[in-house]
Amino acid sequence: MLPTGVHFETYGGEAVLLKTGRARIAVALVVAGLALLPLASSEYLHGVGTQMFITLIAVLGLHITVGMAGQINIAQSAFVGVGAFTAAKFASFGLPFWIVIPAAAVVTGAVSIVFALPAARVKGFYLALTTLAAQILFPIVILGLPSDWLGGLVGMSVEPLTVAGYAVSTPMRLYYFTLAVTLVMTVAAFNLHRSRFGRALKAVRDNDIAAEVMGIDVLRCKLAAFFAGSMFAGVAGACTAWFLQFVTAESFTLFSSVWYLGMLIVGGLQTPIGAILGVVFITVVQEGLHEIAGAFVRGGSDASGAIFAATNVALGACILLALIFEPRGLAHRWMVLKSAFQFWPFPPR
Amino acid sequence: MIRLAQALIDGALVGLVYGLIAISFVVIYRASQIVNLAQGEVLVIGALFVWTFTLGAPAIFGAKIPFTAGILLTIAACVALGLLLERMVFRPLIGQPAFAIFMASIALLVMLRGLAQLIWTAETRSFPEILPSGAFSIGPFLLNTRLLIGAGFTIVLTTALHLFFTHSRHGLRLAAVAEDHNTALSLGVSVRSAIAIAWILGTVVATSGAIVLLSGRILSLDVASIGFKALPVALLGGLESVRGAPLAGVLIGIGEQLAMTYLDPHTNGVASNVLPFAVMIAVLLIRPQGLFGWKKIERL
Repeated sequence: MLPTGVHFETYGGEAVLLKTGRARIAVALVVAGLALLPLASSEYLHGVGTQMFITLIAVLGLHITVGMAGQINIAQSAFVGVGAFTAAKFASFGLPFWIVIPAAAVVTGAVSIVFALPAARVKGFYLALTTLAAQILFPIVILGLPSDWLGGLVGMSVEPLTVAGYAVSTPMRLYYFTLAVTLVMTVAAFNLHRSRFGRALKAVRDNDIAAEVMGIDVLRCKLAAFFAGSMFAGVAGACTAWFLQFVTAESFTLFSSVWYLGMLIVGGLQTPIGAILGVVFITVVQEGLHEIAGAFVRGGSDASGAIFAATNVALGACILLALIFEPRGLAHRWMVLKSAFQFWPFPPR
Repeated sequence: MIRLAQALIDGALVGLVYGLIAISFVVIYRASQIVNLAQGEVLVIGALFVWTFTLGAPAIFGAKIPFTAGILLTIAACVALGLLLERMVFRPLIGQPAFAIFMASIALLVMLRGLAQLIWTAETRSFPEILPSGAFSIGPFLLNTRLLIGAGFTIVLTTALHLFFTHSRHGLRLAAVAEDHNTALSLGVSVRSAIAIAWILGTVVATSGAIVLLSGRILSLDVASIGFKALPVALLGGLESVRGAPLAGVLIGIGEQLAMTYLDPHTNGVASNVLPFAVMIAVLLIRPQGLFGWKKIERL
């Protein structure tokens, strides 16, 4: 929704990503704020920020598969894992990051295609079940492979990341690296919405039979949606590998897949803004719970299990509340707020 | 030869347990059109109810509860859980798209796991020995008593539920709900009570599955993963078919046992774990409605 008085005379103007000067300034301020933030915060917060950026990349991918194309995917965490292992393997050959990241993305996309193939026959939650199979098979297969391939039970250590000769070793440098990657991926996700492919995905989501009548190759679109979404997961996986410096199959569980989906639902499925808001909101809730629990059991020993349980309950409650009371997610609330601001003093639409 | 026959017997008996848990998926789907991914968690909570009212009773309530009363209390708790889930989660979602209901079941999975851990803590505990343990031999074969009683129970329960769903007035109403919520509402069928019945049946059947599976063994929160093993079984049998579930369970149980006996030594133990999910993907590709499910016809 644009403010009153903003109009375009060419299609080019209408299709631009940031339509108004005010939007450009706002984005520039947010990016500058994110770039300056680590200068004034602790190493712990650098870690939280890096983790949040990586999660955001994965959730943006999920937004393409689930939000734009309407194909439920509950294996995003396994796909992040595939990306992480691929990146760890490629990095061990001494390849630079600008080869490792695209390679991880493509390999992950290819793996996801295998599990998306039943889309030719089934849709809806049946398709979700094949992604569930992917999520459950992931650790079984990784642990079953010969241990000199992908580390087996022990896991794989990851070569440290170097960018243009600089070792990205401190949390702050890693923060800047993931910030840059996240910016690229965010622009890509926003861009997808104004492409022919993006519009085709939305047509398939809204009614696949009607989309087919309009000349869209539905099966190809569904497979491409999985491929694109998993490429994001692959990029997130590569970043995870460098962030954790050690990858094991246990790091990529069904629960993190559910977390990714939960963030997307709480934020709103339809727009990348929803993904961003959801990731930020859930991360804040999670960190808040950590703080509260930490204050309660300061000195207590066996609290980490209870904290994990409490965050699970909170996340489940967040998803259920979002589904029941605001299926359009925080993104819709944000739009309402924004239009109220833009239309003032007139009542918002 | 004896090894093959023993593998077949073991597979069939274990498969019937999978079938029993698959039935708990089916009764929920058959009566409310909800695929509840959280069924494994429901099973664990049912098992924890059983533990609370039997072995755990002296520590929690300060007095021993007679066995029959314990079982009755467990059933009451299951009914209460089913009603609570219907009222809090699924009633507000009636008429929402399938995606929302599916996601609600995933949210429930996370939430129930967290709640179980918060209320009962994650420690492992021994499950009461409700069914006799041990095994007896017929000729050269060894039969597990617990699984054999469970198998008999599964077959009786299947027949009873099948008759309920296909021959009673109430059961036939539930079929309308499984077809389409809005159509059912317009025909005067109460979707609310259907979902409540579905969840009560689902929790009770899952708890009975827990008793057969766990009797005299160790109960931990990780037992919930059995839900994901029973899901391919329910899918193979057809999500609408109560009678398909035990049959599919036997098929998958035997396949798993054969893979365990003959393939696992060569594949590092992967084959038997992968098999149910390979079957699931194959079913989805070849016959999405399963062996005995309803074929859905879609129009524009």
